Amino acid sequence: MTPQVPAVLGELAQLLMRNAVPGGVPDAERANALGLYAMLLGIAAEVWDGAAHNLVEENHAVRALLDVGGEDSDLRLSALRAENDRLRTALIDAQIAAEQSGDTARQDVIWAELAASTERRRLSVSLV
Amino acid sequence: MTHPLEPPLASYIATRMPDAADIAVSALERISGGASRETYRFRLDWREASEARSRKLILRRDPPASLIDTERRVEFEAYRAFAGSTVPVPEMLWLEEGSDALGHPFFIAEELTGYQAAPQMLFAGSYDAVLPRVADRKWTILGEIAKADPVALGLDNWMQPPALNACAFRELAHWEAILDSDEAEPLPIARAAIRWLKANPPPPAQKLSVVHGDYRTGNFLFDEAGGIHGILDWEMAHLGDPLEDLGWGFNPIWQFGRGLEGGLLARDPAIAIWERASGLRADPAALHWWTLFNCVKGQAIWVGSARAFIDGGNREPIMIYPAWWLLNAQDRAILKVMGRL
Repeated sequence: MTPQVPAVLGELAQLLMRNAVPGGVPDAERANALGLYAMLLGIAAEVWDGAAHNLVEENHAVRALLDVGGEDSDLRLSALRAENDRLRTALIDAQIAAEQSGDTARQDVIWAELAASTERRRLSVSLV
Repeated sequence: MTHPLEPPLASYIATRMPDAADIAVSALERISGGASRETYRFRLDWREASEARSRKLILRRDPPASLIDTERRVEFEAYRAFAGSTVPVPEMLWLEEGSDALGHPFFIAEELTGYQAAPQMLFAGSYDAVLPRVADRKWTILGEIAKADPVALGLDNWMQPPALNACAFRELAHWEAILDSDEAEPLPIARAAIRWLKANPPPPAQKLSVVHGDYRTGNFLFDEAGGIHGILDWEMAHLGDPLEDLGWGFNPIWQFGRGLEGGLLARDPAIAIWERASGLRADPAALHWWTLFNCVKGQAIWVGSARAFIDGGNREPIMIYPAWWLLNAQDRAILKVMGRL
């Protein structure tokens, strides 16, 4: 997810400390702020467990589609995400090439992977 | 507890109300949401001609960095243009484009009290009986906006009028440039949509209209009888193709998971209401283009909110929520509109 979870959690930690100071934030604003922080924490909690699995699965699927080698030996989320960005950039190029050549079968395969990617990223509170 | 904005706000208002005495600002509180402007409500008390008076008002102040960067003058003038018309809007009072008074530019407006705006409230069940009425009012008012003559309203003084055959690509170029500058990760779905939009241009606009720019459920004030009493959030207002606003409301994001346009009504009856009110026609192919365009525009806005947080221009959590909640949902909306989901 963008912005990335560690940066957001760090920011929320600071804001929670500020809200914890009596008189530091007007009551109405505190109530609104805490409600928003709670929603963000809920989303972070939801994506936490599956984040690495989803990135590995997606990187594997895109490599197969692009017919390129490689593997995810570094399982830190930042490393997986960097590899995912690289592969999805290549996927854009592959889709453009398929459009320009009129290869509709290839386009369909790429669209199917893109649809699958949104399933991997889908939140329980997703509007679509 | 006195909010730190209350004293400088009272001092500013005193300069705009030279005949008033004992001016006091109280009960100032920030309203949740408002990622493009900081929005506060407050109470103003003063004495005039020996008589005590009070009024509930709204302060809309620019944040350090915004989900969308727009001129507050444009928003202010858009509200003023429709004052007293069939398009209900709050009264605009003062616009301050300098930063001396409150740290950032702002404007002050009437607060329309006693109404609700939140979609969660509208769809919680107690309004179910009046949802058809809300839907009728929603698309009727949008038709009135589309029908209005922007030149007669004086809005061409504040908003650049595009040629009728340039509306679509002007807007597409604007939002694509924002995606180019703000994206923090590859966006293959949005990029594919942009390529399709460029390869399949819509016909020229049938007329030049005022485009609200964010006309959706959530940006109007409703009552328990299904009436609509205020159209809000004009910060993206501009002149362009009247189908643009209709298409923004048809972005699947704004169905709120209810399977109805705006969470209110099926597409065909919504279009029929708009066509009746506007006197215009919603060509299906053109409306499809504008609906997909608006999915791309939405993605650019959510990406922009993430960028404002990442770059540190605005670290408020309200900038995170649209990105986390809507980026993937917007991709899914694009897939749906393109028939790929």
